[in-house]
Amino acid sequence: MARVNNWQIGRDMSYWYPESRPKRQFAAIFDTNKCIACQTCTLACKTTWTSGVGQEYMLWNNVETKPYGFYPLGWDVKLLAELGAQQWKGDVYTGRTVFEAARPGERALGWRPEEYDYAHPNVGEDDCAGSIEKGAAFVEQHMAWFFYLARICNHCTYPACLASCPRGSIYKRPEDGIVVVDQGRCRGYQECVKACPYKKVFFNPMTGTSEKCIACFPKIEQEQQPQCFVNCIGKIRMAGFISRPEDANPDNPIDYLVHVRKIAKPLFPQLGLEPNVYYIPPIHVPTHFTRQMFGPGIEKAIAEYRNADKDLAGLLALFGSSESIMHRWRREGDVVMGLKEDGTEIVRVPLKEPVHERVAYDASLKVQRTNCP
Amino acid sequence: MQLDSRHFSVFLALLLAACSQGGTVAAPPTEIAIQPCAGTLPADPLDPRWQAVAPFPAPLILQDMVEPRLLETSTREVRVRTLSDGARVAFHLEWDDATKEDLPMPASFVDACAVQLPAKTAPDVPAPQMGEPGRAVEIVLWRASWQAVVDGRPDTLQAIHPNATTDHYPFDAASLPEGSDARRAMQLRYSPARALGNDLAGPRETPVQDLLAEGPGTLAPASAHTSTGKGVRTANGWSVVLVRAMPPGLAPGARTQVAFAVWQGAHEETGARKMRTGWMPLFLEVKP
Ligand code: SF4
Ligand code: SF4
Repeated sequence: MARVNNWQIGRDMSYWYPESRPKRQFAAIFDTNKCIACQTCTLACKTTWTSGVGQEYMLWNNVETKPYGFYPLGWDVKLLAELGAQQWKGDVYTGRTVFEAARPGERALGWRPEEYDYAHPNVGEDDCAGSIEKGAAFVEQHMAWFFYLARICNHCTYPACLASCPRGSIYKRPEDGIVVVDQGRCRGYQECVKACPYKKVFFNPMTGTSEKCIACFPKIEQEQQPQCFVNCIGKIRMAGFISRPEDANPDNPIDYLVHVRKIAKPLFPQLGLEPNVYYIPPIHVPTHFTRQMFGPGIEKAIAEYRNADKDLAGLLALFGSSESIMHRWRREGDVVMGLKEDGTEIVRVPLKEPVHERVAYDASLKVQRTNCP
Repeated sequence: MQLDSRHFSVFLALLLAACSQGGTVAAPPTEIAIQPCAGTLPADPLDPRWQAVAPFPAPLILQDMVEPRLLETSTREVRVRTLSDGARVAFHLEWDDATKEDLPMPASFVDACAVQLPAKTAPDVPAPQMGEPGRAVEIVLWRASWQAVVDGRPDTLQAIHPNATTDHYPFDAASLPEGSDARRAMQLRYSPARALGNDLAGPRETPVQDLLAEGPGTLAPASAHTSTGKGVRTANGWSVVLVRAMPPGLAPGARTQVAFAVWQGAHEETGARKMRTGWMPLFLEVKP
């Protein structure tokens, strides 16, 4: 085991390999408040990558309803139970990561979902947390809560899948930090399936190898965002590259939201993988739940989001506005721009969409018209 | 190789057990003798000629040297018989395993066994744990899942999930005629391991694979696949024959080393999680 630095938990930790960061790290931001669980992302991924024999049950992208939805069944609660109660002291995690809590003879603490655990994605999970009192009526605030959690592989800085593979069949691309399974080298031991806490590696029973999300790297190589990003109906996603906190560049949309405004948080940072998909936490969910899921700083993140200034609102308006990766961004008055790495403009979006009103009844054609906001 | 204390105590226990037999019972054999075989080698594990060969009981130990380690003993012993026609050597392995596991699935593993020999026959053998850099070992691996396919299980999803139905695969499109290159290309597009020629990924014509290794984690297919094999389920386990080329340089009366490994799928054994032996002397008997 080597000692490496994990900024998300505010300390050094043990990892199987020494610290070796890629030239640049693929990262993403998902705004949970905007997801409508339409599953367009899931299908965009499925049709692009996993329509083969043996891939039927695989969802490299899935959207589940928290707190009762899981794919595979119990993926997070099972591991949290195995890890046991752990502590944060401020921004420093004092508990054990999955690498530090590994069982004897293994490289990471994990468990293997069985076939059945994948069998019923999304079935019966759209339930509120808590019951509604008899006679209650919806007035203003939600009395109970749930939210949609869209998930892909986190292309972790310290991937447990990669650490656990005894053959070195999994590698992190030095050019963009995307984590891939070498399909020519994998021998299907499923150690990665067991070790990935997010359960984002899947065993293909027809080829006998394990497969996972590749962040649509052929698109990334062409400066385009992955399929699940560009097809997102709710425009909740933005893909780009993240710097370490000390190198944060406010012109980089990902750095700005994660490091400068600190409104986007990693998923279960306490597990120690430094995952690179960041979530803007749901604003109506009790923070005792979101704190466990996204780490410290949740209250501040929600307050910032609720009181978004023009910069924040502007940058959020860029989400889903272009297929191209926006390495830089800039706001000028009420217009926000997404830019290429060299500063060339890709897209410009108004902070406020103009409102067009049509008369309800078109007398010339004799038709009623509906206005949608 | 270092002899750690646990392995030393196993060795000591075996030694004491051997000594306590006194002079009344013949001492157990200390090496595996390859016996000459007139005519073709028996490729079927149930061939009665195997019963004429005395089995060598090879005790299996845990693979607990490299991660992921196996920490709970499963198969305790593999019974080994060997025959040679001069050009090839056949190993007959038999072990107890209460559950037949031959379907690879998420979180479910298959029964398997392997024979390992040093790539070069020399007194100084490489490390028994998969060899070492620059000093390769040759491995012949048999998997129950491959045997099932060779025995006729179709390469279909329904063979794994009998009640599975699928609406549509991209290669089922009407524009791609059945049996056409275009359809095959589309099939491969959604099967990356097969597209890359990973030779454990496709439907297999043989239940064994020839492999080379130069240390843990380095296992790779051999340049040529020349070994053959066949496994059958017995009342309480498996009986498998593996036939490979005679180790080069192993002349009658000479010795090399051999090692064995057994995986029990029901015990979640796969890859390094296995029961195995250390090196055992392998002796080529002189024809009478
Ligand atoms: S989320 Fe899982 S599969 Fe993806 S890089 Fe991290 S450990 Fe590997
Ligand atoms: S496409 Fe977008 S809005 Fe729809 S489920 Fe996926 S992440 Fe949510």
